[in-house]
Amino acid sequence: MYNDMGSQSGMLRLRPNGHHNSSGNTFSEAGFGLIRGGLGAYGERILGSSEYVQSNVSAILAFFICKYVDASLLPSRLLEQISRYLSDPNYYFRVNDHYVRNKLKVVLFPFLHRGHWTRVSEPVGGRLSYRPPMHDINAPDLYIPLMAFGTYVILATLLLGLHGKFNPEALNLLFVKGLLGWFLQVSLLKLSLFSLSSGEVPLLDIVAYAGYAYTGLSLAVLGRIFWSYSYYFLMPWTCLSMGIFLVKTMKRVLFAEVRSYDSTTHHYLLLFIALAQFPLFIWLGNVSIHWLL
Amino acid sequence: MPKEFTIPPVTFPTSNTPNPTTTTTTTNTPQAPHLHQRQPPTAPFQPPRPSASSLPFMSFDIASTSTSTTSSPFFPPPSSTSSASALFAGEEPSLLEELEINPSLIWRKTLSLIHPFRLNTSLHSDPDLSGPFLYYFAFSLFQLLAGKVQFGVILGWLAISSIFLYSILNFLAGKNGNLDLYRSFSVVGYCLLPIVIYSAASLFLPPTPTTAAFLIAAVFVIWATRVSSRLLAVDDLGASDHRALIAYPCFLIYSLFSMLVMF
Repeated sequence: MYNDMGSQSGMLRLRPNGHHNSSGNTFSEAGFGLIRGGLGAYGERILGSSEYVQSNVSAILAFFICKYVDASLLPSRLLEQISRYLSDPNYYFRVNDHYVRNKLKVVLFPFLHRGHWTRVSEPVGGRLSYRPPMHDINAPDLYIPLMAFGTYVILATLLLGLHGKFNPEALNLLFVKGLLGWFLQVSLLKLSLFSLSSGEVPLLDIVAYAGYAYTGLSLAVLGRIFWSYSYYFLMPWTCLSMGIFLVKTMKRVLFAEVRSYDSTTHHYLLLFIALAQFPLFIWLGNVSIHWLL
Repeated sequence: MPKEFTIPPVTFPTSNTPNPTTTTTTTNTPQAPHLHQRQPPTAPFQPPRPSASSLPFMSFDIASTSTSTTSSPFFPPPSSTSSASALFAGEEPSLLEELEINPSLIWRKTLSLIHPFRLNTSLHSDPDLSGPFLYYFAFSLFQLLAGKVQFGVILGWLAISSIFLYSILNFLAGKNGNLDLYRSFSVVGYCLLPIVIYSAASLFLPPTPTTAAFLIAAVFVIWATRVSSRLLAVDDLGASDHRALIAYPCFLIYSLFSMLVMF
Protein backbone atom coordinates (compact mmCIF):
# COMPACT_ATOMS: atom_id res chain seq x y z
CA MET A 1 0.00 0.00 0.00
CA TYR A 2 1.12 3.49 -0.64
CA ASN A 3 2.39 4.45 2.76
CA ASP A 4 3.07 7.94 3.75
CA MET A 5 6.16 8.68 5.75
CA GLY A 6 5.20 12.28 6.25
CA SER A 7 4.27 11.56 9.81
CA GLN A 8 7.58 11.90 11.44
CA SER A 9 7.66 8.65 13.38
CA GLY A 10 10.25 6.77 11.45
CA MET A 11 8.98 3.24 11.35
CA LEU A 12 5.25 3.72 11.33
CA ARG A 13 4.28 1.40 8.59
CA LEU A 14 1.02 -0.36 8.12
CA ARG A 15 0.70 -3.83 6.80
CA PRO A 16 0.24 -3.53 3.06
CA ASN A 17 -3.02 -4.93 1.86
CA GLY A 18 -3.65 -6.85 -1.28
CA HIS A 19 -5.96 -4.25 -2.67
CA HIS A 20 -5.50 -0.57 -2.69
CA ASN A 21 -7.88 1.94 -1.35
CA SER A 22 -6.76 5.48 -1.56
CA SER A 23 -10.07 7.16 -1.06
CA GLY A 24 -11.05 8.71 2.20
CA ASN A 25 -14.77 8.47 1.96
CA THR A 26 -16.79 5.72 3.42
CA PHE A 27 -18.73 5.12 0.28
CA SER A 28 -15.94 3.36 -1.54
CA GLU A 29 -14.94 1.56 1.64
CA ALA A 30 -18.34 0.03 1.98
CA GLY A 31 -18.59 -0.44 -1.73
CA PHE A 32 -15.39 -2.34 -1.86
CA GLY A 33 -16.61 -4.74 0.76
CA LEU A 34 -19.74 -5.28 -1.26
CA ILE A 35 -17.75 -6.02 -4.37
CA ARG A 36 -15.87 -8.75 -2.64
CA GLY A 37 -19.16 -10.31 -1.79
CA GLY A 38 -20.02 -10.63 -5.41
CA LEU A 39 -21.53 -8.72 -8.19
CA GLY A 40 -25.07 -9.63 -7.31
CA ALA A 41 -25.52 -6.73 -4.99
CA TYR A 42 -24.40 -4.39 -7.70
CA GLY A 43 -26.52 -5.89 -10.43
CA GLU A 44 -29.33 -3.46 -10.26
CA ARG A 45 -27.07 -0.52 -9.59
CA ILE A 46 -24.98 -1.15 -12.64
CA LEU A 47 -28.03 -1.18 -14.86
CA GLY A 48 -29.52 2.01 -13.43
CA SER A 49 -28.57 4.84 -15.71
CA SER A 50 -27.83 7.47 -13.16
CA GLU A 51 -25.67 5.45 -10.89
CA TYR A 52 -23.77 3.79 -13.65
CA VAL A 53 -20.82 6.01 -13.23
CA GLN A 54 -20.76 6.10 -9.48
CA SER A 55 -20.66 2.39 -8.93
CA ASN A 56 -17.20 1.11 -8.82
CA VAL A 57 -15.48 1.19 -12.17
CA SER A 58 -13.40 -1.85 -11.46
CA ALA A 59 -16.55 -3.88 -10.79
CA ILE A 60 -17.84 -2.99 -14.22
CA LEU A 61 -14.53 -3.80 -15.85
CA ALA A 62 -14.37 -7.17 -14.14
CA PHE A 63 -17.94 -7.90 -15.11
CA PHE A 64 -17.30 -7.21 -18.76
CA ILE A 65 -14.03 -9.08 -18.87
CA CYS A 66 -15.63 -12.13 -17.30
CA LYS A 67 -18.55 -12.03 -19.60
CA TYR A 68 -17.02 -11.21 -22.92
CA VAL A 69 -13.39 -12.05 -22.83
CA ASP A 70 -12.92 -15.10 -20.72
CA ALA A 71 -15.70 -16.82 -18.92
CA SER A 72 -13.46 -18.95 -16.80
CA LEU A 73 -11.95 -16.14 -14.77
CA LEU A 74 -13.33 -15.79 -11.33
CA PRO A 75 -14.93 -12.40 -10.84
CA SER A 76 -13.69 -11.85 -7.36
CA ARG A 77 -10.06 -12.60 -8.11
CA LEU A 78 -10.23 -10.51 -11.23
CA LEU A 79 -11.65 -7.66 -9.23
CA GLU A 80 -8.76 -7.80 -6.86
CA GLN A 81 -6.30 -7.70 -9.69
CA ILE A 82 -8.02 -4.82 -11.39
CA SER A 83 -8.45 -2.85 -8.20
CA ARG A 84 -4.79 -3.05 -7.53
CA TYR A 85 -4.13 -1.06 -10.65
CA LEU A 86 -7.22 1.04 -11.05
CA SER A 87 -8.19 2.73 -7.87
CA ASP A 88 -11.56 4.31 -7.48
CA PRO A 89 -11.76 7.24 -9.92
CA ASN A 90 -14.36 9.06 -7.86
CA TYR A 91 -11.65 10.07 -5.46
CA TYR A 92 -9.90 12.09 -8.14
CA PHE A 93 -12.92 14.16 -9.03
CA ARG A 94 -13.86 15.45 -5.63
CA VAL A 95 -12.70 18.94 -6.32
CA ASN A 96 -14.03 22.40 -5.90
CA ASP A 97 -13.23 25.85 -7.25
CA HIS A 98 -10.83 26.71 -4.48
CA TYR A 99 -8.78 23.60 -4.96
CA VAL A 100 -8.58 24.05 -8.73
CA ARG A 101 -7.38 27.63 -8.46
CA ASN A 102 -4.69 26.85 -5.94
CA LYS A 103 -3.54 23.71 -7.67
CA LEU A 104 -3.08 25.61 -10.90
CA LYS A 105 -0.91 28.06 -9.04
CA VAL A 106 1.14 25.23 -7.60
CA VAL A 107 1.60 23.53 -10.96
CA LEU A 108 2.53 26.66 -12.87
CA PHE A 109 4.65 28.32 -10.19
CA PRO A 110 5.96 25.50 -8.03
CA PHE A 111 8.86 27.53 -6.74
CA LEU A 112 6.43 29.88 -5.03
CA HIS A 113 4.70 27.16 -3.05
CA ARG A 114 5.53 27.76 0.58
CA GLY A 115 3.88 24.78 2.20
CA HIS A 116 4.99 21.21 2.35
CA TRP A 117 4.50 18.76 -0.45
CA THR A 118 3.32 15.72 1.38
CA ARG A 119 -0.18 14.43 1.14
CA VAL A 120 -2.31 14.57 4.20
CA SER A 121 -3.45 11.19 5.34
CA GLU A 122 -6.06 10.19 7.83
CA PRO A 123 -6.87 6.86 9.38
CA VAL A 124 -10.14 5.56 8.05
CA GLY A 125 -11.42 2.26 9.23
CA GLY A 126 -8.08 1.13 10.55
CA ARG A 127 -6.25 1.83 7.33
CA LEU A 128 -4.28 4.91 6.47
CA SER A 129 -5.65 6.62 3.42
CA TYR A 130 -5.31 9.99 1.80
CA ARG A 131 -7.70 12.82 2.05
CA PRO A 132 -9.55 13.75 -1.11
CA PRO A 133 -8.37 16.69 -3.23
CA MET A 134 -10.97 18.98 -1.76
CA HIS A 135 -9.17 19.02 1.54
CA ASP A 136 -5.59 18.59 0.49
CA ILE A 137 -3.75 20.75 -1.97
CA ASN A 138 -1.12 18.12 -2.64
CA ALA A 139 -3.50 15.37 -3.63
CA PRO A 140 -3.59 14.53 -7.35
CA ASP A 141 -6.84 14.93 -9.20
CA LEU A 142 -8.01 14.00 -12.65
CA TYR A 143 -10.18 16.99 -13.43
CA ILE A 144 -7.35 19.44 -14.11
CA PRO A 145 -5.37 17.06 -16.36
CA LEU A 146 -8.44 16.23 -18.44
CA MET A 147 -9.43 19.85 -18.85
CA ALA A 148 -5.87 20.86 -19.60
CA PHE A 149 -5.63 18.17 -22.24
CA GLY A 150 -8.85 19.38 -23.84
CA THR A 151 -7.61 22.96 -23.72
CA TYR A 152 -4.35 21.96 -25.33
CA VAL A 153 -6.10 20.16 -28.19
CA ILE A 154 -8.48 23.03 -28.84
CA LEU A 155 -5.81 25.73 -28.63
CA ALA A 156 -3.55 23.77 -30.94
CA THR A 157 -6.41 23.47 -33.44
CA LEU A 158 -6.95 27.22 -33.16
CA LEU A 159 -3.27 27.81 -33.84
CA LEU A 160 -3.42 25.60 -36.90
CA GLY A 161 -6.48 27.44 -38.08
CA LEU A 162 -4.78 30.79 -37.73
CA HIS A 163 -2.05 29.56 -40.03
CA GLY A 164 -4.66 28.42 -42.48
CA LYS A 165 -4.13 24.72 -42.01
CA PHE A 166 -7.34 23.81 -40.27
CA ASN A 167 -9.36 20.77 -41.17
CA PRO A 168 -11.37 18.48 -38.89
CA GLU A 169 -8.98 15.60 -39.33
CA ALA A 170 -6.23 17.74 -37.88
CA LEU A 171 -8.13 17.68 -34.62
CA ASN A 172 -8.04 13.90 -34.58
CA LEU A 173 -4.33 13.94 -35.25
CA LEU A 174 -3.65 16.39 -32.44
CA PHE A 175 -5.79 14.37 -30.07
CA VAL A 176 -3.90 11.18 -30.76
CA LYS A 177 -0.58 12.96 -30.56
CA GLY A 178 -1.54 14.39 -27.20
CA LEU A 179 -2.62 10.98 -25.95
CA LEU A 180 0.67 9.55 -27.06
CA GLY A 181 2.54 12.28 -25.22
CA TRP A 182 0.53 11.58 -22.10
CA PHE A 183 1.26 7.91 -22.39
CA LEU A 184 4.97 8.58 -22.81
CA GLN A 185 4.99 10.74 -19.72
CA VAL A 186 3.15 8.08 -17.72
CA SER A 187 5.55 5.41 -18.83
CA LEU A 188 8.51 7.60 -17.96
CA LEU A 189 7.26 8.11 -14.43
CA LYS A 190 6.19 4.53 -14.01
CA LEU A 191 9.46 3.11 -15.26
CA SER A 192 11.51 5.31 -13.00
CA LEU A 193 9.41 4.32 -10.03
CA PHE A 194 9.59 0.71 -11.03
CA SER A 195 13.32 0.68 -11.25
CA LEU A 196 13.69 1.97 -7.74
CA SER A 197 10.86 0.51 -5.77
CA SER A 198 8.18 -2.08 -5.95
CA GLY A 199 5.97 0.22 -7.95
CA GLU A 200 2.86 -0.02 -5.82
CA VAL A 201 1.75 3.47 -6.65
CA PRO A 202 -1.79 3.49 -8.08
CA LEU A 203 -1.89 4.01 -11.81
CA LEU A 204 -4.38 6.84 -11.74
CA ASP A 205 -2.07 8.84 -9.51
CA ILE A 206 0.66 8.57 -12.13
CA VAL A 207 -1.80 9.44 -14.86
CA ALA A 208 -2.81 12.53 -12.91
CA TYR A 209 0.75 13.67 -12.31
CA ALA A 210 1.60 13.17 -15.95
CA GLY A 211 -1.43 15.11 -17.08
CA TYR A 212 -0.41 18.23 -15.20
CA ALA A 213 2.12 18.83 -17.96
CA TYR A 214 -0.71 19.86 -20.22
CA THR A 215 -1.49 22.93 -18.16
CA GLY A 216 1.92 24.39 -18.91
CA LEU A 217 1.67 23.33 -22.51
CA SER A 218 -1.71 25.00 -22.93
CA LEU A 219 -0.27 28.18 -21.53
CA ALA A 220 2.65 28.02 -23.96
CA VAL A 221 0.35 27.44 -26.93
CA LEU A 222 -1.90 30.27 -25.80
CA GLY A 223 1.09 32.56 -25.71
CA ARG A 224 2.04 31.40 -29.17
CA ILE A 225 -1.36 32.36 -30.49
CA PHE A 226 -1.07 35.93 -29.34
CA TRP A 227 2.56 36.60 -30.14
CA SER A 228 4.69 33.95 -31.68
CA TYR A 229 7.90 35.03 -29.96
CA SER A 230 6.40 34.69 -26.53
CA TYR A 231 6.46 30.96 -27.12
CA TYR A 232 10.25 30.89 -26.91
CA PHE A 233 10.06 32.35 -23.45
CA LEU A 234 6.97 30.60 -22.10
CA MET A 235 7.97 27.15 -23.26
CA PRO A 236 11.25 26.75 -21.32
CA TRP A 237 9.70 28.36 -18.32
CA THR A 238 6.72 25.97 -18.17
CA CYS A 239 9.09 23.10 -18.87
CA LEU A 240 11.15 24.03 -15.86
CA SER A 241 8.09 24.50 -13.68
CA MET A 242 6.77 21.10 -14.63
CA GLY A 243 10.19 19.62 -13.97
CA ILE A 244 10.33 21.12 -10.52
CA PHE A 245 6.78 20.04 -9.76
CA LEU A 246 7.43 16.48 -10.81
CA VAL A 247 10.69 16.30 -8.93
CA LYS A 248 9.11 17.45 -5.71
CA THR A 249 6.15 15.14 -6.05
CA MET A 250 8.16 12.13 -7.06
CA LYS A 251 10.54 12.71 -4.23
CA ARG A 252 7.71 12.30 -1.78
CA VAL A 253 6.38 9.30 -3.59
CA LEU A 254 9.73 7.60 -3.66
CA PHE A 255 10.45 8.47 -0.11
CA ALA A 256 7.25 6.79 0.90
CA GLU A 257 7.70 3.73 -1.24
CA VAL A 258 11.22 2.60 -1.08
CA ARG A 259 12.62 0.39 1.63
CA SER A 260 16.26 1.18 1.28
CA TYR A 261 16.99 4.78 0.60
CA ASP A 262 19.75 5.04 -1.94
CA SER A 263 20.42 8.69 -2.28
CA THR A 264 22.50 9.04 -5.43
CA THR A 265 20.36 6.85 -7.66
CA HIS A 266 17.30 8.70 -6.53
CA HIS A 267 18.76 12.05 -7.32
CA TYR A 268 19.98 11.03 -10.74
CA LEU A 269 16.64 9.60 -11.59
CA LEU A 270 14.79 12.69 -10.46
CA LEU A 271 17.14 14.83 -12.50
CA PHE A 272 16.51 12.61 -15.48
CA ILE A 273 12.74 13.04 -15.07
CA ALA A 274 13.13 16.80 -15.01
CA LEU A 275 15.38 16.86 -18.05
CA ALA A 276 13.16 14.52 -20.03
CA GLN A 277 10.41 17.10 -19.88
CA PHE A 278 12.24 19.22 -22.41
CA PRO A 279 12.07 16.95 -25.47
CA LEU A 280 8.51 16.07 -24.58
CA PHE A 281 7.40 19.66 -24.42
CA ILE A 282 9.26 20.57 -27.57
CA TRP A 283 7.59 17.74 -29.43
CA LEU A 284 4.11 18.49 -28.14
CA GLY A 285 4.45 22.22 -28.41
CA ASN A 286 5.42 22.08 -32.02
CA VAL A 287 1.91 22.19 -33.35
CA SER A 288 1.76 21.07 -36.92
CA ILE A 289 -0.02 18.64 -39.17
CA HIS A 290 2.99 16.44 -39.30
CA TRP A 291 2.85 13.44 -37.06
CA LEU A 292 6.32 13.13 -35.71
CA LEU A 293 7.50 16.67 -35.69
CA MET B 1 -82.72 -8.73 -75.96
CA PRO B 2 -80.61 -6.96 -73.34
CA LYS B 3 -82.19 -6.01 -70.17
CA GLU B 4 -82.48 -2.36 -69.60
CA PHE B 5 -81.39 -0.79 -66.40
CA THR B 6 -82.69 2.49 -65.38
CA ILE B 7 -79.88 4.79 -64.42
CA PRO B 8 -80.85 7.70 -62.30
CA PRO B 9 -79.93 11.04 -63.72
CA VAL B 10 -76.93 12.88 -62.33
CA THR B 11 -78.00 16.09 -60.80
CA PHE B 12 -75.91 18.58 -58.94
CA PRO B 13 -77.94 20.46 -56.41
CA THR B 14 -76.52 23.94 -56.97
CA SER B 15 -75.67 23.91 -60.59
CA ASN B 16 -77.91 25.90 -62.86
CA THR B 17 -78.34 23.37 -65.55
CA PRO B 18 -78.48 19.89 -64.40
CA ASN B 19 -77.07 17.54 -66.91
CA PRO B 20 -78.91 14.41 -66.90
CA THR B 21 -76.66 11.99 -68.64
CA THR B 22 -77.43 8.41 -68.88
CA THR B 23 -74.29 7.28 -70.51
CA THR B 24 -71.62 8.92 -68.46
CA THR B 25 -70.72 7.34 -65.23
CA THR B 26 -71.54 8.93 -62.03
CA THR B 27 -68.47 10.95 -61.42
CA ASN B 28 -67.89 13.46 -58.85
CA THR B 29 -66.37 16.15 -60.96
CA PRO B 30 -68.33 19.35 -60.80
CA GLN B 31 -69.26 21.09 -63.97
CA ALA B 32 -66.87 23.94 -63.55
CA PRO B 33 -68.39 26.71 -65.61
CA HIS B 34 -71.71 26.12 -64.13
CA LEU B 35 -70.98 25.93 -60.51
CA HIS B 36 -70.89 29.08 -58.57
CA GLN B 37 -70.29 27.73 -55.18
CA ARG B 38 -68.25 24.89 -53.96
CA GLN B 39 -69.52 22.07 -52.03
CA PRO B 40 -67.66 19.54 -50.07
CA PRO B 41 -67.57 16.46 -52.22
CA THR B 42 -69.66 13.66 -50.94
CA ALA B 43 -68.87 10.12 -51.62
CA PRO B 44 -70.92 8.95 -54.54
CA PHE B 45 -71.61 5.59 -53.13
CA GLN B 46 -72.64 5.34 -49.56
CA PRO B 47 -72.39 1.91 -48.10
CA PRO B 48 -75.31 0.97 -45.98
CA ARG B 49 -74.57 2.01 -42.42
CA PRO B 50 -74.81 -0.90 -40.14
CA SER B 51 -77.17 0.29 -37.52
CA ALA B 52 -77.28 -2.89 -35.61
CA SER B 53 -75.38 -5.28 -37.77
CA SER B 54 -73.09 -7.97 -36.59
CA LEU B 55 -70.10 -6.75 -38.51
CA PRO B 56 -68.97 -3.32 -37.45
CA PHE B 57 -66.79 -2.12 -40.18
CA MET B 58 -65.17 1.19 -40.46
CA SER B 59 -66.95 3.44 -42.80
CA PHE B 60 -64.51 5.88 -44.19
CA ASP B 61 -66.36 9.10 -44.27
CA ILE B 62 -64.41 12.15 -45.19
CA ALA B 63 -66.58 14.58 -43.35
CA SER B 64 -66.31 12.81 -40.06
CA THR B 65 -62.52 12.35 -40.15
CA SER B 66 -61.75 15.96 -40.83
CA THR B 67 -63.57 17.06 -37.73
CA SER B 68 -62.26 14.43 -35.40
CA THR B 69 -58.59 15.17 -35.85
CA THR B 70 -57.18 18.37 -34.56
CA SER B 71 -57.55 21.54 -36.42
CA SER B 72 -54.06 21.68 -37.84
CA PRO B 73 -51.56 18.86 -37.93
CA PHE B 74 -48.74 20.93 -36.60
CA PHE B 75 -50.02 22.06 -33.26
CA PRO B 76 -51.44 19.14 -31.39
CA PRO B 77 -52.94 20.04 -28.05
CA PRO B 78 -50.82 18.94 -25.13
CA SER B 79 -53.38 16.50 -23.87
CA SER B 80 -53.22 14.40 -26.98
CA THR B 81 -49.62 13.48 -26.38
CA SER B 82 -50.69 11.37 -23.45
CA SER B 83 -52.21 8.48 -25.31
CA ALA B 84 -54.36 7.59 -28.22
CA SER B 85 -57.37 7.40 -26.01
CA ALA B 86 -58.09 11.05 -26.56
CA LEU B 87 -58.49 10.37 -30.23
CA PHE B 88 -61.23 8.87 -32.16
CA ALA B 89 -61.61 5.23 -31.29
CA GLY B 90 -59.86 3.11 -33.87
CA GLU B 91 -57.94 6.06 -35.20
CA GLU B 92 -54.18 6.04 -35.22
CA PRO B 93 -52.27 8.91 -33.66
CA SER B 94 -50.68 11.28 -36.06
CA LEU B 95 -47.17 10.60 -37.23
CA LEU B 96 -45.59 13.44 -35.31
CA GLU B 97 -47.03 12.18 -32.08
CA GLU B 98 -45.90 8.67 -32.71
CA LEU B 99 -42.40 9.86 -33.32
CA GLU B 100 -42.67 12.01 -30.22
CA ILE B 101 -41.68 15.09 -32.08
CA ASN B 102 -43.45 17.90 -30.40
CA PRO B 103 -42.97 21.04 -32.46
CA SER B 104 -44.61 23.39 -30.01
CA LEU B 105 -42.29 22.23 -27.27
CA ILE B 106 -39.29 22.67 -29.54
CA TRP B 107 -40.44 26.17 -30.35
CA ARG B 108 -40.96 27.07 -26.73
CA LYS B 109 -37.56 25.73 -25.75
CA THR B 110 -35.95 27.68 -28.57
CA LEU B 111 -37.61 30.87 -27.45
CA SER B 112 -36.45 30.34 -23.91
CA LEU B 113 -32.87 29.91 -25.05
CA ILE B 114 -32.76 33.05 -27.14
CA HIS B 115 -32.76 35.34 -24.16
CA PRO B 116 -29.26 34.85 -22.77
CA PHE B 117 -29.87 36.13 -19.28
CA ARG B 118 -33.17 34.81 -18.16
CA LEU B 119 -33.62 31.12 -18.51
CA ASN B 120 -36.65 29.06 -17.73
CA THR B 121 -35.01 25.84 -16.73
CA SER B 122 -38.22 23.98 -15.97
CA LEU B 123 -38.99 23.71 -19.66
CA HIS B 124 -35.84 21.75 -20.23
CA SER B 125 -36.37 19.22 -17.51
CA ASP B 126 -37.66 16.63 -19.93
CA PRO B 127 -35.04 15.88 -22.52
CA ASP B 128 -35.83 15.75 -26.16
CA LEU B 129 -33.78 14.69 -29.13
CA SER B 130 -35.81 16.10 -31.96
CA GLY B 131 -34.83 19.69 -31.25
CA PRO B 132 -31.12 18.90 -31.34
CA PHE B 133 -31.67 16.98 -34.52
CA LEU B 134 -33.23 20.04 -36.12
CA TYR B 135 -30.39 22.23 -34.93
CA TYR B 136 -27.82 19.78 -36.23
CA PHE B 137 -29.43 19.83 -39.62
CA ALA B 138 -29.69 23.60 -39.67
CA PHE B 139 -26.06 23.93 -38.63
CA SER B 140 -24.87 21.51 -41.28
CA LEU B 141 -26.92 23.23 -43.93
CA PHE B 142 -25.52 26.64 -43.03
CA GLN B 143 -22.03 25.19 -43.21
CA LEU B 144 -22.94 23.78 -46.59
CA LEU B 145 -23.91 27.25 -47.69
CA ALA B 146 -20.45 28.36 -46.66
CA GLY B 147 -18.96 25.64 -48.82
CA LYS B 148 -17.96 23.16 -46.15
CA VAL B 149 -19.45 19.69 -46.20
CA GLN B 150 -19.25 18.70 -42.56
CA PHE B 151 -22.34 16.64 -41.79
CA GLY B 152 -20.51 13.67 -40.35
CA VAL B 153 -17.97 15.74 -38.51
CA ILE B 154 -20.59 17.72 -36.63
CA LEU B 155 -22.61 14.67 -35.69
CA GLY B 156 -19.52 12.85 -34.47
CA TRP B 157 -18.38 15.82 -32.43
CA LEU B 158 -21.83 16.20 -30.90
CA ALA B 159 -21.86 12.57 -29.84
CA ILE B 160 -18.37 12.61 -28.40
CA SER B 161 -18.80 15.88 -26.58
CA SER B 162 -22.04 14.75 -24.99
CA ILE B 163 -20.37 11.54 -23.79
CA PHE B 164 -17.46 13.60 -22.46
CA LEU B 165 -19.80 15.98 -20.65
CA TYR B 166 -21.82 13.08 -19.25
CA SER B 167 -18.78 11.38 -17.76
CA ILE B 168 -17.14 14.52 -16.40
CA LEU B 169 -20.26 15.89 -14.78
CA ASN B 170 -21.21 12.60 -13.23
CA PHE B 171 -17.77 12.25 -11.75
CA LEU B 172 -17.85 15.80 -10.46
CA ALA B 173 -21.21 15.41 -8.87
CA GLY B 174 -20.11 12.37 -6.97
CA LYS B 175 -22.88 10.35 -5.50
CA ASN B 176 -25.65 12.75 -6.37
CA GLY B 177 -25.08 12.92 -10.07
CA ASN B 178 -28.16 12.05 -12.04
CA LEU B 179 -27.30 13.28 -15.47
CA ASP B 180 -28.02 10.55 -17.97
CA LEU B 181 -26.65 10.39 -21.46
CA TYR B 182 -29.95 11.24 -23.12
CA ARG B 183 -30.26 14.44 -21.15
CA SER B 184 -26.65 15.35 -21.76
CA PHE B 185 -27.11 14.98 -25.50
CA SER B 186 -30.28 17.01 -25.32
CA VAL B 187 -28.59 19.88 -23.46
CA VAL B 188 -25.57 19.95 -25.76
CA GLY B 189 -27.85 19.90 -28.78
CA TYR B 190 -30.18 22.63 -27.62
CA CYS B 191 -27.39 24.94 -26.57
CA LEU B 192 -26.01 24.61 -30.08
CA LEU B 193 -28.52 27.28 -31.03
CA PRO B 194 -26.13 30.24 -30.61
CA ILE B 195 -23.60 28.46 -32.78
CA VAL B 196 -26.24 27.90 -35.44
CA ILE B 197 -27.04 31.59 -35.37
CA TYR B 198 -23.33 32.36 -35.55
CA SER B 199 -22.85 30.18 -38.59
CA ALA B 200 -25.79 31.85 -40.27
CA ALA B 201 -24.41 35.26 -39.40
CA SER B 202 -20.86 34.42 -40.43
CA LEU B 203 -22.00 34.17 -44.01
CA PHE B 204 -22.35 37.92 -43.98
CA LEU B 205 -19.72 38.97 -41.52
CA PRO B 206 -16.06 39.85 -42.16
CA PRO B 207 -13.74 36.91 -42.64
CA THR B 208 -11.84 35.33 -39.86
CA PRO B 209 -8.37 36.67 -39.29
CA THR B 210 -9.72 40.02 -38.15
CA THR B 211 -10.11 40.79 -34.49
CA ALA B 212 -13.75 41.72 -34.92
CA ALA B 213 -14.55 38.23 -36.11
CA PHE B 214 -12.94 36.74 -33.04
CA LEU B 215 -14.89 39.04 -30.79
CA ILE B 216 -18.16 38.07 -32.43
CA ALA B 217 -17.29 34.40 -32.09
CA ALA B 218 -16.42 34.96 -28.45
CA VAL B 219 -19.81 36.53 -27.82
CA PHE B 220 -21.65 33.54 -29.23
CA VAL B 221 -19.47 31.03 -27.44
CA ILE B 222 -19.97 32.74 -24.12
CA TRP B 223 -23.71 32.86 -24.70
CA ALA B 224 -23.78 29.12 -25.40
CA THR B 225 -21.61 28.37 -22.38
CA ARG B 226 -23.76 30.41 -20.07
CA VAL B 227 -26.95 28.78 -21.20
CA SER B 228 -25.66 25.24 -21.05
CA SER B 229 -24.04 25.60 -17.65
CA ARG B 230 -27.29 27.02 -16.30
CA LEU B 231 -29.19 24.06 -17.66
CA LEU B 232 -26.73 21.54 -16.33
CA ALA B 233 -26.42 23.10 -12.91
CA VAL B 234 -30.05 22.31 -12.20
CA ASP B 235 -29.27 18.63 -11.87
CA ASP B 236 -26.30 18.97 -9.69
CA LEU B 237 -27.05 19.43 -6.04
CA GLY B 238 -23.64 20.67 -5.02
CA ALA B 239 -23.47 23.08 -7.91
CA SER B 240 -22.80 26.16 -5.87
CA ASP B 241 -19.35 24.82 -5.14
CA HIS B 242 -18.26 24.37 -8.66
CA ARG B 243 -20.15 26.46 -11.15
CA ALA B 244 -16.98 27.33 -12.99
CA LEU B 245 -16.02 23.68 -13.07
CA ILE B 246 -19.23 22.84 -14.89
CA ALA B 247 -18.96 25.78 -17.24
CA TYR B 248 -15.44 25.04 -18.41
CA PRO B 249 -16.11 21.79 -20.31
CA CYS B 250 -19.10 23.46 -21.95
CA PHE B 251 -16.85 26.33 -22.98
CA LEU B 252 -14.40 23.89 -24.55
CA ILE B 253 -17.15 22.12 -26.46
CA TYR B 254 -18.71 25.25 -27.93
CA SER B 255 -15.41 26.83 -28.82
CA LEU B 256 -14.69 23.65 -30.74
CA PHE B 257 -17.90 24.04 -32.72
CA SER B 258 -17.28 27.71 -33.31
CA MET B 259 -13.91 26.85 -34.79
CA LEU B 260 -15.72 24.83 -37.40
CA VAL B 261 -17.58 27.96 -38.33
CA MET B 262 -14.58 30.23 -38.24
CA PHE B 263 -12.17 28.22 -40.33
